[in-house]
Amino acid sequence: MKFRAKIVDAACLNHFTRVSNMIAKLAKICTLRISPDKLNFILSDKLASGGVSMWCELEQENFFSEFQMEGISAANNEIYLELTSENLSRALKTAQNARALKIKLTNKHYPCLTVSIELLSVSSSSRIVTHDIPVKVIPRRLWKDLQEPTVPDSDVSIYLPVLKTMKSVVEKMKNISNHLIIEANLNGELNLKIETELVCVTTHFKDLGNPPLASENASQARNPEQMAEVHIDIRKLLQFLAGQQANPTKAVCNIVNNKIVHFDLLHEDVSLQYFIPALS
Amino acid sequence: MKNEVRRRLLYGGPHRPFYAVKRNSSLGKRRGRGGVKSRSFEKRGQHPGTRGRQAEARLATRLVRAPAMLKCGMGGSQVKVFGKAIQALSRVSDELWLDPSEKGLALRSVNSCRSAYGCVLFSPVFFQQYQWSTSVKMNDNDTISNLNCKLGMKSILPIFKCLNSLERNVESCKIFTRSDKCKVVIQFFCRHGIKRTHNVCFQESQPLQVIFEKSTCSNTLMIQPRVLAEAIVLFTSSQEEVTLAVTPFNVCIKSSNEESMDLTSSVHSEMFVGPDEFDFFQIGVDTEITFCFKELKGMLIFSEATHAPISIHFDFPGKPMALSIDDMLLEANFILATLADEPSRASSPQSLCLSQKRKRSDLIRSNSKAGKNVTSKALEHISRKAAPKRLCPNETLTDISALENCGSPPLKRVSGDVGEVPASSVRRAEEVLGSPCLRKFSCMFFGAVSSDQHFSHPFDSLATASDSEEDVNYGSFSTF
Repeated sequence: MKFRAKIVDAACLNHFTRVSNMIAKLAKICTLRISPDKLNFILSDKLASGGVSMWCELEQENFFSEFQMEGISAANNEIYLELTSENLSRALKTAQNARALKIKLTNKHYPCLTVSIELLSVSSSSRIVTHDIPVKVIPRRLWKDLQEPTVPDSDVSIYLPVLKTMKSVVEKMKNISNHLIIEANLNGELNLKIETELVCVTTHFKDLGNPPLASENASQARNPEQMAEVHIDIRKLLQFLAGQQANPTKAVCNIVNNKIVHFDLLHEDVSLQYFIPALS
Repeated sequence: MKNEVRRRLLYGGPHRPFYAVKRNSSLGKRRGRGGVKSRSFEKRGQHPGTRGRQAEARLATRLVRAPAMLKCGMGGSQVKVFGKAIQALSRVSDELWLDPSEKGLALRSVNSCRSAYGCVLFSPVFFQQYQWSTSVKMNDNDTISNLNCKLGMKSILPIFKCLNSLERNVESCKIFTRSDKCKVVIQFFCRHGIKRTHNVCFQESQPLQVIFEKSTCSNTLMIQPRVLAEAIVLFTSSQEEVTLAVTPFNVCIKSSNEESMDLTSSVHSEMFVGPDEFDFFQIGVDTEITFCFKELKGMLIFSEATHAPISIHFDFPGKPMALSIDDMLLEANFILATLADEPSRASSPQSLCLSQKRKRSDLIRSNSKAGKNVTSKALEHISRKAAPKRLCPNETLTDISALENCGSPPLKRVSGDVGEVPASSVRRAEEVLGSPCLRKFSCMFFGAVSSDQHFSHPFDSLATASDSEEDVNYGSFSTF
C-alpha cells in the first residue's frame, strides 16, 4: 500500500484546508478512501453516529499536482483509512503560507498519514513542519459498509435557502425542542417546525425552487402543494449546518416522507452528501 | 501633622519639595518625643530607599516595627506590559510574589511542583515613580526583611484582565502596600476622572528564587517571538510537553512522546528551523530537552507585549533551561525544569512531575555513572556560594524561617521508598535552625557532599541549576 500526494498551489491548499475543516465539524472520526482518481471522506451510518451518514467526494486532479497511490491489491486498488478528522484539519491549519504540502502514508511504528509542510519564511532557509497523524487501515472485509450510499427516491426535492439563515433559525429552535420537523413541497416551500406543549414555532421559506425531477412518474402523480416531512433530531441538522462555512455552489434537499432527509451540496468541485434519518 | 501626612498619602504624588520642608519641621517636633523613636528615625533616614514622607508615615502610625513597603506608579502604556507579565506568570502558578528591591520590582511565581519558575523584574526606570523600603525591626536584633508579599493569582489576575481596554482608558496606575492591613492597593486613574481602587490582601510569605547562571549554558538561542508563536500553533493544548532538539545546523521543536498518552491517537508534530532565523545562535552541544508547554506559552504572551526577542539558554537534559527577555526597562526570566535523560531512552519519558517520581529508581541507578559529574559540579556550586542554590527562599541567610516555605509539599507528592528519604531529611532540616542546617539542606538536595546520594531528588533538574542568581544580592545583572 502506498500513497503520496503533493499540493503546490496556494488556492488548492486553502480549498483542501476548508474541506478538511468542514469534515472535522461534521464527523469526529471518519474514513478516508483513496482511489486513483478520487478522495472520499466517509461516515457510515453506524449507531455511533446516530444513523447519520456522510459521503464527501473530491477529484484528486483538482487539488494535487502529484498523486500516486497503490491499493491493497491490483484488483482492489483502494486504500481505506480511519482517522480523527480534527487531526488532519489542525495539521493543515499550519499550512497557511506553505510553499508546498506533501501527504504520504507512512509506517512509523504504526501507520500514519504524514503531512509535511514547507513553509515560506522571511530568511532564505525554509521551515519544514511535519505532522504524523495516526491512522488505522481498514481491512477489506469492512469495505462493503463504506460504499457510496444510494440516493433514495425522494418524494420532494427542493433547493435549500441560504445556509447561514437556516443555521441561525435552527440554532434558536434548538433551545426549545430537540425534535424538528422538516417539510417541503414541490412548490418551492420549505418549513422548519418545532412543537412543544407550550409553543409551536414554524419558519417558512418560500420561492426556493425545485430541481427538475429525474423520474417523471413521481412528479406527475404528486400534488405540488403536498408537503413531505421528516421528524429529525435538531442537533444533527445543526451539526450539518454548522459545518458549512461558505455558501455552497449548489444545495439540494431530498426528503423521503417519514424516512430520511438527504442533503446534497456542491462546494465548488467538492460534493458532499449528508443523510439524516427520521427519529424512530 | 499626622493628619496632613495621611492626606498626602491618600492623594499620592511625591510633592517632594513640600516634604523636604515637612521633614525638617517634623524633625524638630519628633525629636522631642521618646528617645528610641528619634533614634529609629535617624537610622531609617540613612536607610537606602527611604524618603522623608515614608519615615513620617511610619512615625505617624507609631509602630515600633516599621513595615516594609512598596509604592510605585506607572503610565497607561506600562499597565499593559505589567498586566501581561502577570498573565504570563499566571501560567506558572496560582501565587504571585511582589518583591521590591533597589533593582526594581520583581514579580515572582513558582509552580507547585517546583518545576517552573517565573520572574519579571521591572527596573525603577520602568515606573514613573518607584519607592520601596525594607522593614526594620526595632527589637534587640535588627532584622531587615523585605516586603514579603504573596498574592493569589485569582485576586490579582482579574484586575488586569482586559488589557486592551485598560490601555485605552487608564491614564496612570498606582500600586502601593498597606502593611498594617496586609493589603496591596492598586489604583487606576482612568479617563473622565474615574478612579478605580482595588484592595488585594496579601499573605506574608518570603519569595522563592531560583539561582541560574545563564552565561554558563552551552547553548543559547535568541529568536523573535513571532517565530516561536508560529511553532506553538503546531501543538494542541492536550500536548503537555515539547521537545527542543538542537544541532549546529538546525533546531527542531517537536511534540514529545509520552508513555501516558496513547501513541496511536496523538499527532506527532515537528518543526525544523534553520540557524539564520535566529538572532543569535550558539550551540555548544547537540542536545534534546523536553519541557512543559504551558510555561512556554506564558512566556510568549509576555513577549508579545514587549516586542523583544526571547533568549533560550539550555544545556543537557535534566538541567533547567531559561527563557528570558532582556529589555532596557525590564527583565523576564522563566526557568523551567527539563526532563532528565535516562540511560534507557527506549522507555518514553512521562510528564515532568510524574516521571521524576516513577523514574526515581532509574535515576538512582544511573546516579553511580552520573554521580561523579554531578558531584563535582554541585560541589563547585556549593563552594562558590554559601547560599543554597535551591529554589528555597534565601533572601537572607539568617532568615531560617524561609525554610518552612521550602519544598516539602512537592516532596510529599513523591511516593515510593526512595522518595521518603529526602522528605524526612527535609523535615529534619526544618526543625533545626542555623546555617549548618542550611548547608545540610542544600547538600542533601544536590546529593553532593553528603554520603547518601540523594541525587534522585524531584527537583534535581532544578537543583543542579548553577550559580549566580538573577537577584539583587549576589548576581551580576548587567542590564541595570
